[in-house]
Amino acid sequence: MNAPDRNLHVKAPGVSELARIVRVNEEIKAIVSTAFRINLMALNAIFLAKRAGNAALGFGVLSNELRRFAQELTRHMATLRDMTSGSVGSVTGVVQQQRTSAILAEAIRLSGDGVPGVREARRRGATRLAEQQACLRSLDLRLRSAVEETQQLVELGGVLARSAKIEAAYGGTFSPALMQVSTDFAEVIAQIKRSLEVLGKERLVKD
Amino acid sequence: MKQAHCIYQEDDHRWFAIARDASKPGYIIDTNEYVVVNGDEALLCDPGGIEIFPAVFSALSAECDPTRLAGIFSSHQDPDIISSLALWLEFKPDLKCYTSWLWQSFLPHFGGQDSTFIPIPDPGMTIRLGGLELQAIPAHYLHSSGNFHLYDPKAKILFSGDVGAALLPADHNGLFVEDFSRHIRHAEAFHKRWMGSDRAKRDWCERVSRMEIDMLVPQHGAIYQGGDVQRFINWFAALEVGVLRG
Repeated sequence: MNAPDRNLHVKAPGVSELARIVRVNEEIKAIVSTAFRINLMALNAIFLAKRAGNAALGFGVLSNELRRFAQELTRHMATLRDMTSGSVGSVTGVVQQQRTSAILAEAIRLSGDGVPGVREARRRGATRLAEQQACLRSLDLRLRSAVEETQQLVELGGVLARSAKIEAAYGGTFSPALMQVSTDFAEVIAQIKRSLEVLGKERLVKD
Repeated sequence: MKQAHCIYQEDDHRWFAIARDASKPGYIIDTNEYVVVNGDEALLCDPGGIEIFPAVFSALSAECDPTRLAGIFSSHQDPDIISSLALWLEFKPDLKCYTSWLWQSFLPHFGGQDSTFIPIPDPGMTIRLGGLELQAIPAHYLHSSGNFHLYDPKAKILFSGDVGAALLPADHNGLFVEDFSRHIRHAEAFHKRWMGSDRAKRDWCERVSRMEIDMLVPQHGAIYQGGDVQRFINWFAALEVGVLRG
């Protein structure tokens, strides 16, 4: 067997799992940063509504709600981040075990199945890999469920942004400024929705 | 592909050299692994790196039952020495790894847990294999700061790790040194650069000169036997080491 052939035989699958975790982490970071922006935007909107006085009472209430939404979103994202950072360890374990099993399989292929101890070694490796993959699948399910909960929260944020737009129309002389703020809200929430959609499609393990 | 060659046998006491791997990728340094078998137990000296595990495992399995492996002797901590540890443990989880106490907490980065490692104290220790008493001989700073060789007083074989190593061209594939003066040219640059301490070298040469050695078996290159053993020790004693070039 020539050298490149031998190398191909011991290449283990599964390195893309780590790349997936990186992508999930990057999406979460993007949403966290956007949630922080919404928080600041909501604070500004509260001040603007106060300056507008009675004409923007409704807008003021919605701004407070949007601020609470941003804080809740930040908490959700912190949970998601904790889950993904924990999953790096699980994914690494799976990748290592896959590589180890692939090299051991190559050793068994060269030595023959009759060598004492190899069947037990293969079974031990397969059991460990199955346990690690089950752990990763469970983590994946929890992550997907957490993403779905966050998507519902963001739907509520979208409703708040649309209502803010309607309230902005009654803002009298402040109406253009309030309209601009509520449009910014809607855009930022749409951006978060897109990120969550991407996040919802990512899987820590292949189906 | 690597093959195990029996280099010593007396009854059920045997030494195998798993040497030269022409099929390994060229960018990986060639290594020799040695297996000491005594009765029902075997000890693997410097099992090698991850990439060559299938070849070493296959060669070892062809000559002895791998489930008899009782332990691994790791002369030092380099990846070409011991990075395959996790794979050997995958095969046999209760394997013991003898290594310098200095590397006891470093080698778990390659695999194993606390119970895997048997630390060798600086002055060395006896390693029992069946009824055999092998000696871990200190060779600190040659080249690693925590470094041991393994001496079998019955077979009169000294496994010398990187000491005696030669980086041989592909066509020099003999198991034993045949022409010392031609061979040693391929060992010179390696020893000058890798061996960092002249004091440690002189101390090792003095101690080893007093030992009865029929074969000096290094981790790279060919095996020294008979008169070539003392020839090598004398050559090493005179060599200027710890130099960057020249």
